[in-house]
Amino acid sequence: MTLLSAFLAAEPAHKAAPAAATESHGPLDDIIKLFGDFGVDGPHLLVQVINFCILAFVLYRFAIKPALGQLEERIRQAEQLQQDRAAAEAQLAAAQKTAEAKLVAASDEAVKILADARNSAKAAIEAAKAEAQAAQIDVIAKAKAAIEADRVKMMNEVRGEVSRLVVETAAKVLEQNLDDAQRARLNEAAVKQLAH
Amino acid sequence: MSAASVRAEAKRLLALSLEGGAVSADLVGAVLAALTKSRPAHQLRPLLRVYLTNIRRELARGEARIEHAGPLASADADAIAAHFSKSLGRTVRPVARRNDALLGGFRVRVGDDVTDLTASLRLANLAKSLS
Repeated sequence: MTLLSAFLAAEPAHKAAPAAATESHGPLDDIIKLFGDFGVDGPHLLVQVINFCILAFVLYRFAIKPALGQLEERIRQAEQLQQDRAAAEAQLAAAQKTAEAKLVAASDEAVKILADARNSAKAAIEAAKAEAQAAQIDVIAKAKAAIEADRVKMMNEVRGEVSRLVVETAAKVLEQNLDDAQRARLNEAAVKQLAH
Repeated sequence: MSAASVRAEAKRLLALSLEGGAVSADLVGAVLAALTKSRPAHQLRPLLRVYLTNIRRELARGEARIEHAGPLASADADAIAAHFSKSLGRTVRPVARRNDALLGGFRVRVGDDVTDLTASLRLANLAKSLS
C-alpha cells in the first residue's frame, strides 16, 4: 500500500517529459513522448503491470485455476463418459453379436431338433406300422391254425363218432343175426388161426 | 414176521404144494394141516393170505380160460389148451365159458397172458383205426 501510494504520489512522467524533451530529441525520446501524450508513463505502467499481475495471480489462484481444475475434471469426466459409452457400445455390440450368434445357433439347433423329431416320429410310425402288420399276420396265422386244428379235431370227432356208431350197429346186427352155426364156424376159423 | 419173510415162506409152501409142476390138492391139504399145527394164529393169517394168492396164480397158470361166442367143440377147446401147453412148456387144461357178446371167436387167458381172437375185438380195432 505504501509502495502504491509512493508511485501515485510521484510526479508523472509526461509532466517531466517536456523538460527532458527540451534537452534531447532522439527517436526514443519521441516514442516516450508519444506514450506520454497518451497518458502512459513508467510508474503508472509499472503499477498497472503489478496490479495486473496481482489481479492475474489472484484470478489465476482463486478463479481460473479452480475453474480450470473443474474444467479439466469435467473434461476428464466427459472423456471417461466417452470411454465408458464407447466401452458400453462395444459391449452392447459384442452382446448383440453374441446374442445374434446364439440366436442363429439356437435357430439352427431348433431346426435340427425339429428335423430329428420328425425323423424319429417317422421312424416310430414306420416301426409301429411294421409291428402292427407283423402282429396282424401273426394273429391271422394263429387264427388260421386254430381254425384248421378245430376243423381237424371236429373231423376226427365226427369220424370217430361215425366209426363208433357203425361198429356198434354192426356188432348189434351181428349179435342178433349170427346163429350158433355161424358162431361155431367163426370159432373153428379162430382155432385154425391160432394153430397157424 | 416181516412182509418179505412172509412172501418167502409162502413161496416155499407153494413149491411144496406142486406135484409134477401142477398144484396138488392133497399136498395143499397137507401143507395147511402142518401150518395150523406149527404156527400161532397171529402168524398164520398173513402167511395163509399170501399162500392163497400164490395158489390161485399157480392154478391160473395151469388153466386156459376160454371165453367164446356160440358153441365151442370140446375138441377145439382141447386143441387150444394143447397149443398153449406146447408154447408155454407146461400142462394147461381148458376151462370154457360162453359169452355171446364176443360175437364170434374166442379169448384165451393163461395166467397173465391174454390171446384175443374175437370178432368184437376186430370190430373195436376197426373203429379205432377209422377214428
